Amino acid sequence: MDDLLAEFVAETREMLGALAGEIVAWEANPDDRARLDTIFRFVHTVKGNCGFFDFPQLESLSHAAEDALADVRAGRRQADSRLVDAVLAVLDRIGVMIGEIERGEPLSEAADDVLIAALAGELDEGDRAIAQIGGVQHSSATPAAEQRTIRLPVDLIDQVMSGVSEMVLARNDLARRMQVLGADTGLEAPFARLSALIAEVRDAITRTRMRRIEGLFATFPRLVRDLSAELGKQVFVEIENGEVELDREMIELIRDPLLHIIRNAVDHGVEAPADRLAAGKREAGMLTISARQSGNTIHIGIMDDGRGIDVDKLAAKAIAAGTHTPEQVAAMSREEKIELIYEAGLSTAESVTAISGRGVGMDVVRANIEKFGGTLEIESLPGEGTRFLICVPLTLSILPSLTVEAGGQTFAVPRSYVEEIVSTAGGNLEFAQIGERRYVTFRDRRLACISLGDALGLERNDDPALFVILRLGWGDLYALEVDRIFDHHELVIKPLSPGIMRSGLFVGCTQLDDGTPVLVLDVAAIGYGAGIPRELHRPSAITAHAAPRVEREGLRVILFRALDGERRAIAMSVVEQVERAGAGAVRRPGPDAQVVLGEEILPLAGVPAGAELPERITVLRLCEGFERIAYAAREVIDIATLDGVLKRVNGQTQVVGVTMIDGETAELVDCHALFAGQVAQTGGHGALTCRLDGDETWMRNFLAPIIEAAGYRIVAEGPADIAFVEGDLADEDECEARKAIRLRSAPGPADGSDSIYRYDRAALMAALLRAGEELAA
Amino acid sequence: MNEMLLVVMLAGRRAVIPAVVVNSVIELGEVTPVPQTALHIAGLAALRSRPLTLIDCALSLGLDREPTDRRSCRAVVVEHEGHLYGLMVEAADDIVAAHAEPGPLGADPGPGWSRVACGRVETEAGALPYLDIAALIAGPEEALAA
Repeated sequence: MDDLLAEFVAETREMLGALAGEIVAWEANPDDRARLDTIFRFVHTVKGNCGFFDFPQLESLSHAAEDALADVRAGRRQADSRLVDAVLAVLDRIGVMIGEIERGEPLSEAADDVLIAALAGELDEGDRAIAQIGGVQHSSATPAAEQRTIRLPVDLIDQVMSGVSEMVLARNDLARRMQVLGADTGLEAPFARLSALIAEVRDAITRTRMRRIEGLFATFPRLVRDLSAELGKQVFVEIENGEVELDREMIELIRDPLLHIIRNAVDHGVEAPADRLAAGKREAGMLTISARQSGNTIHIGIMDDGRGIDVDKLAAKAIAAGTHTPEQVAAMSREEKIELIYEAGLSTAESVTAISGRGVGMDVVRANIEKFGGTLEIESLPGEGTRFLICVPLTLSILPSLTVEAGGQTFAVPRSYVEEIVSTAGGNLEFAQIGERRYVTFRDRRLACISLGDALGLERNDDPALFVILRLGWGDLYALEVDRIFDHHELVIKPLSPGIMRSGLFVGCTQLDDGTPVLVLDVAAIGYGAGIPRELHRPSAITAHAAPRVEREGLRVILFRALDGERRAIAMSVVEQVERAGAGAVRRPGPDAQVVLGEEILPLAGVPAGAELPERITVLRLCEGFERIAYAAREVIDIATLDGVLKRVNGQTQVVGVTMIDGETAELVDCHALFAGQVAQTGGHGALTCRLDGDETWMRNFLAPIIEAAGYRIVAEGPADIAFVEGDLADEDECEARKAIRLRSAPGPADGSDSIYRYDRAALMAALLRAGEELAA
Repeated sequence: MNEMLLVVMLAGRRAVIPAVVVNSVIELGEVTPVPQTALHIAGLAALRSRPLTLIDCALSLGLDREPTDRRSCRAVVVEHEGHLYGLMVEAADDIVAAHAEPGPLGADPGPGWSRVACGRVETEAGALPYLDIAALIAGPEEALAA
């Protein structure tokens, strides 16, 4: 959080600095629309960030300034000198507050309410002086911020980076020549050292520029949670980051546009729970944020399943604002009307809220994205949702790729698109032929096949043996037929000349180790170009036509398919985030599995011992208090309310019971056991030890899990703190334990001894607890 | 100062390219063909770590001409709008000094030539057409579309 705060401070300070000149110019000419817009955007951004960081004073101040400026923008108010003074005082006051935030001091009390009143135009001439005080304070209160980092021009880093790339090629060339010379040239050792050094430098210089987009995305679930709580909505966030790395600079640039879009989606897109139920949707809205890399472009998708954009309202606003005539609007298609959202000052929101304010949204967002060469696309279906697709360029990116061959030529496919590789070699692929189109069955779906050779106008192999299953941005899958698959590479992508880009089939070019140029395929263009239908992947679309659900009381759960294929449910309140992870991120599959998510290593539950992991798994990140656990799943199915009878099951330690959801059984995950198990594990060697003497199978399978869950460490033999003994098996003397708990297999009253019936769980746990306490005392 | 010019041979005729824009003149090694692209784009090669888009100048002059022989040709490396191009010509040996500024072409020099040459220049080696690099790169299809 501290990092974010520091970034917020640095960003605000930078914007204030850049604004200094604008303010003076605006003061000289308050009618200057462009300057007004710049200042408006600033206070809007500050306000937005405040909502995230919880600085109510700063937020109310910037909101007031935004209100006043919006009135001026809309022509409801004149920018008189009094307003200009008040706005300037607010900007100065923001500068003071930022200084205080940076130094970690509490925000000073100042006459903010007077400032706000002055902005609202409620003060007479005499109070103006007070408003100006805010400005006077500022000059003395802002010390120069100390910088512990240096800023470098990106050009310089680019230059070093391209130098390093050349070094790698020179080294490869050298390696080839050394091979020709044969062994014992005496150069091997220095060459190995050189190679290692180059690799090191390359890594370092790459790191200076790249950062995982995860760091940015990680802040979104919290943001959405707070926003939706404030608005009385339920919004569930799914994040799929595809391990995308992005230029630091680019991450900074997309942060604000993304925040704006997410705020808008939660505020205006997703409906209130009652409206959603009335529309036959699930009560909780779904917001999907995904990132994918494709050559020199990063695609970031933000998709909600809300009400969609009300184009008629947009059109009416455009007419009312005088930017379009009714005739012009009448002639527009739905897509063109959606484009109206980019017109400055238009918004469909009925009410002005603290969250996304008024229509500052899309015109500013698009301007900011286009400023650095990106694009913003909006698609929206009424009642079904809206999806935003941001494409930002990424020069000099390192792209993990798969190299394939078709028609005798080598091409690279960005790995982020590759879902799986399947081959006919096993003989278990099922094909269908519809006209000229071949289909292959993959995980119960018939996927259209596209021959890469065909698509590129090269030689076509009529008997393809290898298919690369590709997943395009929104869940559209197809199978690409190739002749050979070579290898995975980390490739440096270079832009192609416009003449070659015109074909639309390639996104860039790269070089293999021997220096040969290789074209990188634009798999989306190839897929759609060959007629793969664009299916809008809208989770709500399936349920939209079902009968409206009755409001139900009960536990809100996320329904998912576990790795072993079972349908399971888990309480929604413990699920912090849903992510996708590669199988490579999972360590030691089995009961002690761990998963690497970003920079965190979390224990991973839900992985059966010896399980074959699919290439990509869905990970539910669970959080309760200070403990975090990940739960592995194949996929998330739905969000549901538990209202059925919970039938207990015996013998399963991670499941509370089985219930019916939507006519099918689902197991409810025992969150208590999950977290208890985790606490026990982190307890490590300090925990009390426990030995089990007796019917080994029963002890190990039935008793051991609950004892472990209670925080004890099981030892196979030797001395232990506590021993469980089957009543008729051994004497206490032989137990070599400080405490013994005797169990008996017959129910009914104890026959004189202090033994406990082995299925009397309450008494058993009480005895264990008592023993533990006595030992600890 | 008189401008220095590189004399190249394309489609059996001599022409000049301003020497100042020429990065280097190379012989071609491996060429990666580019499917589904304009005919005069002969493929991709690499100049150290940068991709080089190869332009067959003969085809750029007119698609009905003989393609330049990849093995015997020279590629004149130029940078145009941030990208590197290799202009494939039959020969590129001489550098000559111009006697004067390039002037108008004069009589129609024939199909293709009027598009790729933007003027005529008097040099030590006689009067030669002065090539327009942008037009060579754009190729004949671009001209048709325009």
